[in-house]
Formats: sequence, structure tokens, C-alpha cells
Amino acid sequence: MKKVLLSLAVAMALPLSAQAWTPQNDINVIVAYKAGSGTDTGARLLSSQAEKFIGKTLIINNLPGADGKIGWTRLVQAKPDGYTIGFINLPTFTTLAAQKGAPFKTAQIVPIANHLTETSVIVVRADSKIDSLKGLVDAAKANSKMRCSTNGVKASNHTAAQLFAKSAGIQYKAVPYGGTADQLLALRQGEVDFSCAKIADVAKLVTGDKPELRILGVFDKQRLKEFPNVPTLGEMGYYGEWYGSARALVAPAGMPADVVKYYVDTFKKVMSDPEVIKAHQTAGLNLEYKNDKELGELIKAQEKFARDVISTLY
Amino acid sequence: MLETLGLMGAGFIHALSPMNLLAMVASTALGITIGCLPGLSAAMGVALLLPVTFGMDPATGLIVLGGIYCGAIFGGSISAILIHTPGTPASAATAIEGYQLTLKGQAAKALSVACYASFCGGLLSCISLYFFSPLLAELAMQFKSPEYFWLSIFGLTIIAGVSSRSILKGLMSGILGLLISTIGMDPMEGVERFMFGQSTLYNGVNTTCALIGLFSMSQVFILAEKKIIERAKAAKFKMQYGLSRQEIKRLMPTITRSWLIGNILGILPGAGATIACFMGYNEARRFSKHKEEFGTGSIEGVAGSEAANNAVTGGSLIPTLTLGIPGESVTAVLMGGLIIHGLQPGPELFSTYAPMTYTFFAGFVLVQFAMLGIGLWGSKVFAQISRLSDSILIPSIVVLCVVGSYAIHNNFVEVIIMFIFGVIGYLVRKFDLNAAAIVLGLILGPIGENGLRRSLYLSDGDPMILFSTPLCWMLIILCVVGIFSPIIMGRFEKRMLDKNS
Repeated sequence: MKKVLLSLAVAMALPLSAQAWTPQNDINVIVAYKAGSGTDTGARLLSSQAEKFIGKTLIINNLPGADGKIGWTRLVQAKPDGYTIGFINLPTFTTLAAQKGAPFKTAQIVPIANHLTETSVIVVRADSKIDSLKGLVDAAKANSKMRCSTNGVKASNHTAAQLFAKSAGIQYKAVPYGGTADQLLALRQGEVDFSCAKIADVAKLVTGDKPELRILGVFDKQRLKEFPNVPTLGEMGYYGEWYGSARALVAPAGMPADVVKYYVDTFKKVMSDPEVIKAHQTAGLNLEYKNDKELGELIKAQEKFARDVISTLY
Repeated sequence: MLETLGLMGAGFIHALSPMNLLAMVASTALGITIGCLPGLSAAMGVALLLPVTFGMDPATGLIVLGGIYCGAIFGGSISAILIHTPGTPASAATAIEGYQLTLKGQAAKALSVACYASFCGGLLSCISLYFFSPLLAELAMQFKSPEYFWLSIFGLTIIAGVSSRSILKGLMSGILGLLISTIGMDPMEGVERFMFGQSTLYNGVNTTCALIGLFSMSQVFILAEKKIIERAKAAKFKMQYGLSRQEIKRLMPTITRSWLIGNILGILPGAGATIACFMGYNEARRFSKHKEEFGTGSIEGVAGSEAANNAVTGGSLIPTLTLGIPGESVTAVLMGGLIIHGLQPGPELFSTYAPMTYTFFAGFVLVQFAMLGIGLWGSKVFAQISRLSDSILIPSIVVLCVVGSYAIHNNFVEVIIMFIFGVIGYLVRKFDLNAAAIVLGLILGPIGENGLRRSLYLSDGDPMILFSTPLCWMLIILCVVGIFSPIIMGRFEKRMLDKNS
């Protein structure tokens, strides 16, 4: 009798397991930067919104250090059972993965969706005599020691400055600081002459009655909607491609296809929801959803960028 | 002006709503708990509760975060005093005197002094929040790379102050700390230094790890070595925990001094509560009329350290709210919380969103009272821990150390680092070097190095940049005074003694 019941139970379980996967426990979300940072703020906002759709808690696990290496190493090493996902930053992730002896490779993650896109811009103080990209280039040609603050040696904002400088044929001094907040503070204090940052970092500093900073140019193929008077670098004859950072949601490779599909579909719903869109606008974050295929292409493009462009840049 | 006063009053009325009062008490209690557990930092607590605050009214959410912040900075003193393990790096200097008091059976008094000093420091820093924000924000903007370099030099002069026995050994310890601080990525060139391929050491040795190892783990080794035969039956445990009028009067100058130190250090991004507590302790010692007590349990030492680190809380809010520059790690998380609510730091907070901001300020003031109440009540309870026998205490401390150092970044390598520093700390004790000086060197090293190297890079190698602003000169004078005042005051006292005899 017991044997019959047992085999009946097994027979019932088999078709049941073919149903779509949904999480039964809380989900661990790895963020490779410290709490309070730009990436973390965006990640927390999305996760808290997504909880309504998923029905389980998304626990943010901050694993900062080594410019993201520590968190991302743990992400690719996590069990691909559907209970660990994480945020990556492009191009930083692909740049680090391309290095020799890197603890992780781009093949070790599987894309879910792109969350935010932040385009890079060049800024100076509002009271600076320089009021255009050409003005900046002329000043740099006259004084090859113009100072530019960056968020770290070869970090994203340093790369932006290099792309600009190489395309304009100028020399400058890149002064590294601990992060975007510190680099912008240095610019506001007048310790440096110009800086490259992401639009979200400077948005509130360039608008309003008494803006502290002024945007000279944007690293994009077309002008920004919010700043139609700011030219693109391409228009002025400098670096013509888009450059900036993207924050994307990925999972460790090896995750079963139906689990990945669950996340892809869920986050598509989350990021299309009007309330979520509004929450991002309120927080000043540029929500730009890309599905898993588009994200995969973006990652490949960033890999190519890291291999071909960045390696020759410094 | 009248309008601002009206806003302030309205802020208090809103802050006294039942919801906000509940938030205050609960978050302060939680903050104190987080603070007294080594390895759980205030920043971590604030980050953990951030999602909970999303659904709340922004003012209530901020009050919750403020309660955790203040509670945690005070809570660190509890474990510092009772088991010589600073719960947060901000209480490192409290451990020096506080633990000595515990050994004398005066744990309850030490805890209440710490509570009272924290309350005063925090409350007084609220004054600067209300009235001096624009001024202090402007001061924060004046601190650039050269100024930070001189600040770190001034910080290093504290080493002489914490070296009670031998200044030479104190200096050696400080230099050891500076050397250790060079581990990690070079800030200017991006080269790996002494990392041996360990990603964990990218940002250098984690201060909390080193602190737990140097202060706590080493204590465990020493006690274990003694075989715990003669326990600290040193002194009979005294349950007296209130402060006499005389003692309060004696502590007032120390607290006021520490408030000023902590408030000003708080506005400087990167300086932080740890440096403030050491400076507060050092200045308490410099100006104390009972110098002989230092090293064997001085309530002025405890008060000097704790008032300073809580004064940092109000101070660090100023650049965060006015300029969007977080004073240190906790306020960085707080700023993230503000941004998610759609509130950008800056003048808007004082114009469009003024009601909410002033409610938050009022809540911050009331949180100090909550901290005083819970802290004093808790002192009675917590002090009993000092009566536990070592055979229970020691294993508990080991567990706290291991869990604490793991909890920082969920990284087991940091537990190993903690043990290594435990061994270093044991050797430090054996050779009569100075653990506090090592920690000071460890913290000030990066600030000084960044300041110096960046300044020289900006000026193309011209050292005159270090002498270029009035603020630099003020700091240089402070350094000189800091170095020579013990000598001058010592001679002065000797002369007075000679005169009298």
C-alpha cells in the first residue's frame, strides 16, 4: 500500500515540476558597490519596486571592493539556482573581465535586463571662462597641464576624458579621486579645471537659478532631450560614439532556462510599469530597459570596446 | 528670520507625532544594539533599514535613519567599555579609559558618563545644524588636498597624546600604522602595493578588522595566557551609575571642547568619527587637571571621546544636506535615501521642502533624548556584563570578533586579517607599544598620502602649494602647537612646582 501511494506521489510530481518556475524563497541581489553609492541607490529602488511583482523579498547584498571585482567574483561563483542575481556596471565589468588573470569572464554571466543608462558629459564650473568644447580644446592647447578630476585611475570617467583628449589631440593632467562624488567636489572647489561625469551625477548642479557647473558637451550620437543646447562631441568633430555607463541585471551562468525566462519576463513587467517609471523619474535616474537579447549585444559591444579601444587608449 | 523660527517650531510639532515618536525610540534602540556589536557599523544599520523607510513619509524615514546613526555611535562605547572592543571604530579612544574603569569595578559609571557625553555632543551639534549650516558648509568647501594633508599631520600629533608611557614607542607604533596603511591600491597610479594578489586588500586593511584584532583579540590572547587564575577580582563592582553634580561640572569643559572638535571634523568628508574620538580624547587629556588618571581610568577621557564622536553626527549632516557632499559613510547612505525620495540635497531642502527638513532636524534633537533615556537605563543592565567570569566572557568575545569581522563585507579573508592583527596586538602589548597609535596611523595614512601626493601632482611638484591658503597656515600652527604644547606645558608646570616648593 505504501509503495503504491509513493509511486502515485512520484507520478504526480513529475508533471508538476514542468510548471513555470517561481521563487519560493527570498532572493539575494549582489551589488558590487557600497551602500549609498550611485549603483546601490538605483539597485535598491528597482529591487523595492520589483518585490511587488515577485512577491518575495529581494535582499541587497553589498559586496564592495576592488572596483567591483569582489562582488562580481562572488556573483559568478554563486549557485545558479535562481536565488542569486546581481547588478553589473558596463563598461567596468567587461573592462575588468578582459584583463589578464581576471577572476571572472563575461561568459560566466547570463543577461536578464538593462536597468539604467547614464551618458557621460564634460563639465566645468559655471564661473569658468571656458564656455564651449572648442574653448576647452583651445585652452588645453595653450596649457597642456589643464587639470581634469576623475573617479579613479582608468575608471569610467578617466576613460571618457581620454576619449575626448585623444580625439581632440590635446594633453591634460588626469587627477584621480576616490569616486565621482569626490571628483565633482574637487571641480566645485576649483581644485581642477574640468571633469567628465555622468549626466545623473551633475543634473542638479547644472540646473536651477544658480547652477554651480556648466555642461560643455555630451558623449552621444544625438543631443540630450533635457539639454538641447548642449552639443555632442561628434558634432564638434571629436569622439562621435556613445559613451557612458549602463547598469544591468544579470545572473550566474548555468541558470536553467526557465528560471532565466522568469526573471526576464518579470523585470520586463517591472520596468514597463508606469509607477516604476515615475519613481525613477522622481529619483532622477534614467531608466532604459533593454531585454536580455539587447543586453547581450550591449555586453558584446562593450567587450569589443574594451579590447580594441581601451587597450590603446592610455 | 521669523519665518525660519516658525518653521522650526512647526518642525517640533510634527516631530512629536505618535508615529515619529515611536520611530525615534525604536530606531535609537536598534541603533544602540547595532553599535555595541563589533563589526556591525552604523552605516550597515542605516543601509539595512533603508528599504523599510521607502514606504514611510520622508521625514519619518529620515528620523529613523538619524536614530540608528546616533544610537550606533553611542552604542559602540558599550562594548568598548565592557570588553575593550570598540563596537564601532568611533569608540576606539573610549576603550582606552573605559575598560580601565571596568576593571576598577566602575563599569556602570563609565557607561553613564559615555551616555551623558554622547547626549551632550549630539545635542550641541544640532545647534550648529540649525544655525551654522551655511557657514560650516562654506568651511567644508575650503578643505582641499593641501588642507587634508595638514589635518592628517595634526592628527598624527595625537599619537604623542595617547602614548602614556613612552613617546618613542608611541611614535614607532604610529609609523607602523602608517606603513600598514600603504597596503592596497596606490591612489594616484593604480599600482598594487603589498596586496599579494588578494582582492580583499584592494582598499587596504579594513580599519574595523584591524581594530577588532588589535583591541579585542589581543585581549583574549593575553587573558588566556594568564590562565585566568586570578580574575579581575580587582575591585568590588560598584552599582553607582548616576553622576554627581561635581562630576558633571568637571566634565563640562571637556564635553564642550569635544563638541567643537567633533562638529568641525564632522563637516569634513572623509575625516569622520574615528579621528574625532581620538582628538577629543587627546584634548581632554591635554587640558585635564587630573592627568594622572589617564591610562588608569579617567571619566574625562571617556567623556572627551564620546562627546566628540556624537558631535560628528550633527556636523556630518551639514555638508550632506546643503551641498550634497556626504560627511562620511553613514550620511552617504542617508543621501541615497533622500535621492530615492526625490529630494536632492541643496537649497531646495530649505525652501521647497523646508517643513520636512525641519521636522527631521527636530526629530534629530529628540533622538538625543531618546538615546539618553535608553542609554542610562541600559547602563544599569549592560554593566552587569562586567561581572561575568572570564570563562564566559572570553569565548563570547571570540565569537563576537569572528562574526563581527566577517559581517563587515561577508568576506572570510577579513576574519583572517582580524586574527593576524590579534597576534600583532598581542605582541604590541608584550613590547609595550601602543595599539591606539597604530590605528591612528592606519586611518590618517591614506588621508595624508592622498593630500600630499595629490597636492604635489596638482602643483607639478611645487611644494609651495602646501602653504598657499590661510587655512593651511592655521592648520600648520595647530600642528606646531600640538607638538610643542606638552613640552611647554610640562616645563611650565615644573616651574610652578619649583616656585611653590
